[in-house]
Amino acid sequence: MRHNRLLTACLAAGLALTAAGCSAASPGAASGSVTLTYLTFETPDLTASFWKNSIDNAEAKVPGLTIKDIVSPNTDRDAYAKQLQASGQFPDLLQSITPSTFAQAGLLKPYPQDWVNANFLDPMGNANKGKVYIPPTNSQIIPMVFYNKQLFARAGISGTPKTWAEFTADCAKLKAAGITPIELGGGDSFAAAMPLTGVLSVDVLGKDPNWLRERYAGKVHFTDSNVEAAVAKYRTMVANGYFEPGALSVSYADSIKDFTSGKAAMYMMGSWFLGSIPKAGAADYGSFLTPADDGSVVVPYAVGGSMAISASTPSPDKATAFAESWSLNPANLKTLIEGDGAFPLIKGKTLQDYGVDVSQVYQDSYTYVLQNNTKVSAIGWVTNDDAMPSGLNDDFYAAAQALFNSNDVAGQMAKLDSEWTTATQ
Amino acid sequence: MITRLRQRRGDPALTALALLTLGLYILFIIVPVIMSGWKSFTDENPLLAQTRFIGLANYREMTHDSTLAASLGFTLGLAAVVTLLANAAGIGFAILLNQTSLSFRVMRMLAFLPQVISGVIVGFVWRYILAEDGILNHLLTALGIIAQPISWLGTPDLAMFSVGLVATWVLTGFTTVVHLAALQSIPVEMYQAAKVDGASRWQQFRWITLRMLAPGTTISVTISLITMLKLYDIIAALTSGGPAFATQSTALYIINLAFTDDRFGYASAVAMLLLAVSAVVALSVTGLLRRREVDL
Repeated sequence: MRHNRLLTACLAAGLALTAAGCSAASPGAASGSVTLTYLTFETPDLTASFWKNSIDNAEAKVPGLTIKDIVSPNTDRDAYAKQLQASGQFPDLLQSITPSTFAQAGLLKPYPQDWVNANFLDPMGNANKGKVYIPPTNSQIIPMVFYNKQLFARAGISGTPKTWAEFTADCAKLKAAGITPIELGGGDSFAAAMPLTGVLSVDVLGKDPNWLRERYAGKVHFTDSNVEAAVAKYRTMVANGYFEPGALSVSYADSIKDFTSGKAAMYMMGSWFLGSIPKAGAADYGSFLTPADDGSVVVPYAVGGSMAISASTPSPDKATAFAESWSLNPANLKTLIEGDGAFPLIKGKTLQDYGVDVSQVYQDSYTYVLQNNTKVSAIGWVTNDDAMPSGLNDDFYAAAQALFNSNDVAGQMAKLDSEWTTATQ
Repeated sequence: MITRLRQRRGDPALTALALLTLGLYILFIIVPVIMSGWKSFTDENPLLAQTRFIGLANYREMTHDSTLAASLGFTLGLAAVVTLLANAAGIGFAILLNQTSLSFRVMRMLAFLPQVISGVIVGFVWRYILAEDGILNHLLTALGIIAQPISWLGTPDLAMFSVGLVATWVLTGFTTVVHLAALQSIPVEMYQAAKVDGASRWQQFRWITLRMLAPGTTISVTISLITMLKLYDIIAALTSGGPAFATQSTALYIINLAFTDDRFGYASAVAMLLLAVSAVVALSVTGLLRRREVDL
């Protein structure tokens, strides 16, 4: 008898715990109020207080809405969103995820196209199959080549290289002057792949902007001669010692410190690095684009944005209203511009409208976005129809690391083709 | 077990505890293993609602998955080397620390410390130590041992070595404690009798210490192997499996398959393979060591 009571008590407690664990954000009973979940992530610039303030401001514009934020344990929002989906806890709103994979699975709700067209400079910049799942609030150039003006001058270099030949000649001059030409935080695979991203985006996508879509269709391959020739350029940079020999032991964080403390003359990184340039010495830095052979200007470009909306949110109207309010708030963009080097894309607004304090190198870099030039998808970074299949980014980064220690360009490209086939099966 | 407990009168608390333990074991071990086994025959994608039963397709794919072969080779090699080194070091440390004074007790605690620290923290700390501009390179340069920094984490061979070094460091804390406990269970009278018989220190070590340590070694080696075969956290923090997947353990590969490539079904099949490999290795080694215990 006593056993039965004990068992009953245990079961009751277990059921109570289970019920408590299963209770998620849900619409309010009769009041019309609703609580929605919002996946966010924190960085040194996007702090907890940033998220709190930005959520409070947007929440205030949507009566009856309460937002419960879920902070991703790291900056890999996609992986965490997948874990939440797998455990039946897919958030109602998801900040800065890669929408293509989720949209294909029917998990996201597109934004009203009229609203997107009315508010953004590049309304289809991150569209998937003609629909916009993340408001295109801002963009990045990935990578830019940042350079230290003093180190360039010390090596006798005046001006910035316009062609690939001039670029490699400058690298040789810097090396001859005892200066490490290019800083590389190769310990973090995405950073290791930056030079390769630059070269491929300019040489391959610069000549054929539809290359990635053609790769999906099987019309082009990584083993094509033009791709291998571009990758061989990167391999030559490694072989010529234009990166420090132990670059794959340098973390991304250390690479920023190394470059900003004058240990190397150039740094190929996404334009978010603009937010890490010390304000006091910002005048010592400049930027240019990965040069093409013929000197043409090609911008490896990725349109980012704010948040995606779950297709199964219990309150699509309130979720959309919150997301629209958050996305158009200049205060949120201000933080992204100053801290993350984001290039804003909201219609009818100038940098002054955001109240930002940005350096000259930021303004010079931003002109590449505003100019009418050749913009191509930054390979491995875009979230539109040119996004690579799930998992292939890691293989691409790994190829860049492998080519640091191996000459086998053809082998690495064949491996990428094989991985692409597996990923798209 | 429960029946036997019930047979003992007046032990309702024990029965409840046994039931609770059994329930938790079924809930958190048996059920997930069965679920994983089922998923391994499907093409489950965490983002898609529909999942198809695909029979043995995932298992067939494993036979020509070069990334899996590389990760399994690395994991097995790492497990073998680290288990050997950590247990050899553990026996040595246990003998050194088998004293009763306060200072030795403090040293014992310090020896166990790496085992207590989270694997993620261990990984990050060692990443700082082994970085290009890290403490180790600074130390070796200051001592005049090297002229240029060594790329401990940047070249595949050295990265594998570094992972092995860190894993050995962590595991040695555990093997030391297990062997120390086994050492302290050896009756002093055995050594006294051996001395009376004129046995040298080496003979005492060879014929008493090593023999009496055997049960502890069996436990230590088996748990070390299992720990290494499922190693994930240290590698994730130290190298993220790089450079170019050179240090990607099978556990890390499973996570990447599931949450980066969205292939739950295939990841589950690889997880079942890892479970089978771990079971075979652990059972074989335990069997061998138990036989050694009898021989000794």
